[in-house]
Amino acid sequence: MTEQEIIETINAALVEEFELDAADMKPELSIYQDLGLDSLDTVDMVIVLEGAFKFKIREEAEIKQIRTLGDIHKFVQRKLNAEA
Amino acid sequence: MNLWVYSLLIFVTVVGLLITPLLITYFIGRNRWELARTIRHLIWIYGRVWLLIITPFVDFKREGLTSEQVPENCVFVVNHLSFFDTYFIGALPNSDLTFAVRSWPFKMFWYRIFMRLAQYLEVEDLSWEETLRIGGEILNKGGAVVFFPEGHRSRSGQLQRFYSGAFKLAIASGRPIVPLCICGTDELLPPGRRYLKPATVRLHILPTVDNADYSEIGGHIRLRKEVKGQIARQLELMRADGYSADNGEQ
Repeated sequence: MTEQEIIETINAALVEEFELDAADMKPELSIYQDLGLDSLDTVDMVIVLEGAFKFKIREEAEIKQIRTLGDIHKFVQRKLNAEA
Repeated sequence: MNLWVYSLLIFVTVVGLLITPLLITYFIGRNRWELARTIRHLIWIYGRVWLLIITPFVDFKREGLTSEQVPENCVFVVNHLSFFDTYFIGALPNSDLTFAVRSWPFKMFWYRIFMRLAQYLEVEDLSWEETLRIGGEILNKGGAVVFFPEGHRSRSGQLQRFYSGAFKLAIASGRPIVPLCICGTDELLPPGRRYLKPATVRLHILPTVDNADYSEIGGHIRLRKEVKGQIARQLELMRADGYSADNGEQ
């Protein structure tokens, strides 16, 4: 999976799960302030990413540091690289 | 209106607090219910009393809320316009209703103990696994779980984004979704206002949605979209059907 494909998979999964606008999926945007997600969504976000990439991340402490969409992209890429 | 409603509501709440131990003893003795089920029944009665209190000022229309049309063992999803939406859920014929709520309602100390005893699902504090387990147990015992899938009251009157919890619970437990549409409570008391205004409130039940066709991975998203679409279409019909006109807003 290329970096671009990973980003597209993440964005598509989040758009679908959280009823977001695909045009808003810019890496610099805060997932909380700009995309309107909240504490309840964090759990769903983890489940969505686990489903999309078939890995387990719910125990990862790094998830709590995620603030922007770009943070998610980088986190998933690191996780996939580590598992490769 | 405000003096009447708020005074009576406070009075009923205080009297209710005082006589709750007696009522618990009575209902447990009579029905052999467990404590949580008994408290949920008392909360339902409280909702019924609320409906009596607001009768002089609110034209409340129940659409399809008969025992034959309302299943007891299901997941209800309701749109959310006002603090008092939950009170109107007392119009449902069944009393074994467990609300899934965010953390802030637990800050109302006079309600908190009852919400905890009734085993309300505090979705912000519980892990998803716990929510699923407790919700599943309630459904397995024949009760119903009520979700406001928007999570917050709508400030525009329009439907907001739906959270997925209700739909995941329905699929995981194999219980159907029953969509409910409420309108007019935003005239009665919208977010940000403290005084009540007379209103026409309508609570409408939509046909039960069986989740058997949504069991694939990600099926909750399809189920959520389907149910949200149904609620949105019904709300449009209800609003076009004179509810605004009833309130003098052509």
